[in-house]
Amino acid sequence: MSRRSTGRVAALIATQRQAQRRRLRLAAAAGAVVSVAAVGLLGLSGWFITGAAFAGAAGGLAVQSFNYLTPSAIIRLLAILRTGARYVERVAGHEAALKALARLRPQLFHALASAPPECALALSSGDASARLVQDVDAVQTVFVRLSAPWALGAGVAASVLLAAMATPLAALVLLGAMGLTWGGAAVIAHRRAEPAGRAAQAAVARLKDSLSALEAVAPELKAYALDGWAAQQVAEAAAVRDRALIDQAQAGGWMAAWQAGVTGLAVAAVVPATHGAPLPLTALAALAAIMGLESLAGLIGALHQNGAAAEAQDRLDDLLPDEAPRVRAAPHDETVRLAALATDLSPPARLGLFGASGAGKTTLIERLIGLRTAPEGEARLGGVDIADLAPDARRALFAYAAQDVRLMDGTIRQNLALAGPADEAAIWRALDDAALAQRVRADPLGLDAPVGVNGERLSGGERRRLGLARAYLRDAPWLVLDEPTEGLDAATEAQVLAALTRRLSERGQGLILISHRLAPMAACHIRLRIEGVDADGRVRMTRQVEPAPADA
Amino acid sequence: MTAVSPAPFAPAAWLKQTGRAWRRPAMLAAALTVADVLPAIGFAAGLALGIDQFGRSPIAAAPWLALAAASLIARGLLNQAGVAVGARQGRAVKRDVRERLLTDLFGRGRRSGGRLAAVVEGVESLDGYYARFTPLRLAAGLSPLLIIAAAAVASPVAAAILLFTLLPFVLGMILAGTAAAGESRRQFQALERLSGLFVDRVRALPAVLAFGATDRVTAEIATASNELEHRTARVMRIAFASSAVLEFFSALSVALIAVYCGFNLLRLLPFPVPETLDLGRAFFVLALAPEVYQPLRRLAAAYHDRQAAEGAAPALTTPDETKPVRLTLGDTAPSIRFLAVSIAYDGAAPVIDGLDLDVRPGQVVALVGASGAGKSSLLHLLLGLSPLTAGAVEIGGVRLGDGVDLSGQIAWASQAPVVVPGSLARNVALADPTACPGRVKAAAQTAGLTGDLERLIDERGGGLSGGERRRLGLARAMLKRAPILLLDEPTANLDPASEQAMLETIREAARGRTTLIATHSAAVAALADRVVRL
Repeated sequence: MSRRSTGRVAALIATQRQAQRRRLRLAAAAGAVVSVAAVGLLGLSGWFITGAAFAGAAGGLAVQSFNYLTPSAIIRLLAILRTGARYVERVAGHEAALKALARLRPQLFHALASAPPECALALSSGDASARLVQDVDAVQTVFVRLSAPWALGAGVAASVLLAAMATPLAALVLLGAMGLTWGGAAVIAHRRAEPAGRAAQAAVARLKDSLSALEAVAPELKAYALDGWAAQQVAEAAAVRDRALIDQAQAGGWMAAWQAGVTGLAVAAVVPATHGAPLPLTALAALAAIMGLESLAGLIGALHQNGAAAEAQDRLDDLLPDEAPRVRAAPHDETVRLAALATDLSPPARLGLFGASGAGKTTLIERLIGLRTAPEGEARLGGVDIADLAPDARRALFAYAAQDVRLMDGTIRQNLALAGPADEAAIWRALDDAALAQRVRADPLGLDAPVGVNGERLSGGERRRLGLARAYLRDAPWLVLDEPTEGLDAATEAQVLAALTRRLSERGQGLILISHRLAPMAACHIRLRIEGVDADGRVRMTRQVEPAPADA
Repeated sequence: MTAVSPAPFAPAAWLKQTGRAWRRPAMLAAALTVADVLPAIGFAAGLALGIDQFGRSPIAAAPWLALAAASLIARGLLNQAGVAVGARQGRAVKRDVRERLLTDLFGRGRRSGGRLAAVVEGVESLDGYYARFTPLRLAAGLSPLLIIAAAAVASPVAAAILLFTLLPFVLGMILAGTAAAGESRRQFQALERLSGLFVDRVRALPAVLAFGATDRVTAEIATASNELEHRTARVMRIAFASSAVLEFFSALSVALIAVYCGFNLLRLLPFPVPETLDLGRAFFVLALAPEVYQPLRRLAAAYHDRQAAEGAAPALTTPDETKPVRLTLGDTAPSIRFLAVSIAYDGAAPVIDGLDLDVRPGQVVALVGASGAGKSSLLHLLLGLSPLTAGAVEIGGVRLGDGVDLSGQIAWASQAPVVVPGSLARNVALADPTACPGRVKAAAQTAGLTGDLERLIDERGGGLSGGERRRLGLARAMLKRAPILLLDEPTANLDPASEQAMLETIREAARGRTTLIATHSAAVAALADRVVRL
């Protein structure tokens, strides 16, 4: 996977960083204060004690002239400062991160939905969830650690300064130790933590993908006694993630061990390097060195998380298309022209499509609506070739009831609301016309009855009719119905068709209909037989003058 | 079955119970964390005496400084060992809980999209609890006291000061801990909602796009996202506030020790004390002072892990497993009897009420009726997918009931056969993974699936038309050798010509099996031995 640091996600993250800049600046400043206070607190305490020891041993005058008030006051002040500043740093940093993420998630969803249909609809739901939840979370460290360089810089500066007060050599030794710490940690991070972090992110996506795909088919798996196998598949995907997380944790452990080891050696080196300076300054230098190396912890933590964050950002970038969408035309009017037709069709014309299953009927109308990319020369909408039209421009022309109905996990009302806001009267009219009103009224919860995941609480025919009612509620020039009466008995079918024709003539809507059955096709003025998909991708169709072949 | 009101769920108890099987690694991890005290004392001693000796002669300081360096190195290695042991323990517990959850999820055979977050995010939260939090718990109680004891060797008064700053802190933490639990639970629920929302809306994306509802759905997601952010912020504030208290006492202790030691060394204390310090001992105590709070600070940093695990725990419980007895029917087609069967979902009106139906072995029965009349529900009864609210079902004379199910004995072509991402052949073979490729191919062809069997299909069934998906279901039913065949609308979505061709296939598939077909088509009903109108 290539690294694109200038991808769209990086731009979105940068925008959020800009939006949160006040909090981030506060966090950075507080972080710097924490580092300085921590270094100062311990260093000054050591200096104070050592100085007091000498003065006390010397006795009398030395004690009198020893200024003990100022240092002890500063020590107490630093204690309070460190606590307060740490709280402010963490709250500000994390709030900035959380708010930025909260804005980022809907933006990513929107970008995904606005992508060309072959991108947007190709993503499996489990994978999408992994990206929008886990990957966005991993990006969180990018925000939280923004204050780390400031904390680091302040800590380094303070401790090196204090060490320099002993001897310049001590300061140099300290700087060297810091460089060594950072270098070693970077090497361990690069070789261990980063690959593990990347693997962990990729693994969670595969886990969610596998889990949600198998969960969708759980009933059939159970029927075929494959539930054990399915559980096994998911467990294996999860084991990969577990392994990667352990690798990452161990890499973190090694980085911390490296830091501790170098700190020990640094102290053992700084103390002799202060030879020639008074002992209180030696104490100051030694303790400042300890706390100075401690302030590298933030940076090391960032190195540890780098792999996961980078992988997450790459994956989010993959989600979104690279190229800016071409500036596209909009249809001039509502006319539809298909390759086999001599003239344009306008509402209230009625077009029927029939043909063998798999011939490409659904494909054709998905192309018209913009749910599938269309090849050139297949159809024209409003005088413009559909290959040149932006998908969302086309969708406003159609109200679509798909054969494979997609319902949301919510109530009947919520699903109907997808078509837009509507008053109760309109909703019940649509349900009546779809022959579903009686069923909804029979339920104690009525319109607020939950339909389950993808409508599983409704029967197959009921789901199709809910899709039909939903399409009825959308105000569009063309009504597009894919097998609307499939699965209905003759009486209900007649009822639905009567309501359909009445609705079409009332609103002056045009109709594009796919059906195998005789009765719906009889309602259409023009009929096209769909024969198949050519090698160049275009759907082959011929005009039929006689009625469609009779069916049972 | 009598209803017993369940005991209120205690997450902490459940977490403890779940980790019980791995007590030995847990104790090892805890011991390693407590053992961290030794290098801490070694470092403090080495540094204090090193600086003390350095004042006299640099050479004399060398062994002490070496001790200090070696102590820190040992500390790093001990810590790494602790991380490794803890991580492995976390993985072991996760694996166990996940296995139980997955067995329950798939064993039910029903869609349970709302539980996906539990399997992934919920189980992940256990990692922090077992790998990071539990090892630190023992150390948080024991280590500070050990360090204070070591400090008491050098200066009892300083040790008393450290103890004095420790006690009020512990009381404060106990009070703060209870406040966070409810917030964590709500945060996890917000995460579940958001995660579920994404999966659902992305699955429904074709409809969302067709209705131009992108903006509206984006707004929904923004709301859920903000909700999660609020909840997480609240949990974090509590965590940070409690660690701020900790930081304060830690810093305070260093300050107090420094002031006390300094004044003692200056012999300026306003009250009599039973000890006089020298530089070595004072420095030792000063170097130890931050170490008293270190275990507690580490615990506080891991406290969030505990809250997250407790927040997720209710979602991770599974009911006690009753191993279902799989009814083995052998190869002969059984009889199926429905005795006064009623099916009602969730308190709604019954879909089927008091149905009596006797199907002889090997008979083909067509179920016809209006949409919603309950045809699919009756088929689902045999699969355990619809609830039997009254009456009984007998297969070959054996009553179906709690703990007795038919999985593996049924060939089922559902109304909407779901695809798994992969090749078409793989999808067909799902019904019988042991089948050789030849049989898979034969089943596919008999069902009328033409074209390349190796072509890839995505989760949405892209690449298959509606009719082809039906044929996929039929191919699966034909591949599976089972004495019962259930067909749910087998010729829906097929044009009349294809339907005619399918009739022969159905007749062939039903041979030698007891078959129930739910259908609207008169042609299909015609080939049944018996037609039942629901």
